[in-house]
Amino acid sequence: MSRPAAFAFVLIATILLVSISSSEESKVVIGPRNPDLTEGAQELLAGNAETGVKLTLRGLVVAQGKREKEAALSNLCAGYIMINDLDSALTYCNMLLAENDQHWRGRNNRALIYVLRAEYDKAEEDLAIGQEVNPNARTLKVVKGMLLDKTHPVESNIIIDDRRSRKADEE
Amino acid sequence: MSNRLAILLIAICSGLATLDVALSDNDTRVTRITHFEDSSSDRIPTVTAVPQYPEKARRDRIEGEATICYLIDSRGRIKRPSVRQSSHKMFAKPSMKAIRQSSYEPLRPGQNLSQVKSCRTYRFLLNPVAIEEVE
Repeated sequence: MSRPAAFAFVLIATILLVSISSSEESKVVIGPRNPDLTEGAQELLAGNAETGVKLTLRGLVVAQGKREKEAALSNLCAGYIMINDLDSALTYCNMLLAENDQHWRGRNNRALIYVLRAEYDKAEEDLAIGQEVNPNARTLKVVKGMLLDKTHPVESNIIIDDRRSRKADEE
Repeated sequence: MSNRLAILLIAICSGLATLDVALSDNDTRVTRITHFEDSSSDRIPTVTAVPQYPEKARRDRIEGEATICYLIDSRGRIKRPSVRQSSHKMFAKPSMKAIRQSSYEPLRPGQNLSQVKSCRTYRFLLNPVAIEEVE
């Protein structure tokens, strides 16, 4: 047996052993393939936007596959919005939507950038596409509400009516 | 942009988290209030609580109304309130809350009124505002 073949065998054997050991203890641990991306997302979720962005940028460099890359770009867009760097946020949202123009979170986040920049027509367009993809998304409704508050502001008017109606009397 | 940032929705799949970002809007909302009292009633309101316009309804530009029926006891307290009609379930909750916080003048000594069922309708409307007023 040549040396490379032996090496390969040992490596496979080790993996099998670990696998058997894990199943015997009934523990299956799936480690994150891209820890920087995962930790970056966790930091963003915790509100630590700057750390989150740094980690996600590192995660983007080693991102494998469409899903990881889109998650990284989406989170960078969100992270830069959180730290109020709208230019960078827009760059990553644009990159994301160039990869996948049906990414509703990307549409949501870019619409928010446009609302903040008072580019309301562009925001409307992104929201319309986002809502076609995911009509029930709450954040799309929130951003749509923010857009309407800018373009069609309203004030609430509450009428309290104690006058007796015929129906109430019939009851 | 102000610092009123909030992450509103998080979807986590297989260790990856994707964020949607939206800002929480803590602006004080202007509310106009109109109260039509019932001139045929002997019971006089003392506290008339105003329901809060449901934020979701306001955001989605939904108008509607809810009618709450209740009894008024001799001490002017609201008893057994129930939703008689509601155009949308989001209007029922703030209306019930408001009616529970409302009250009437207690009966005077010797005054004897039967517990009559009263109903109050809350109308939730949205009026357009000129953009200059908001900015």
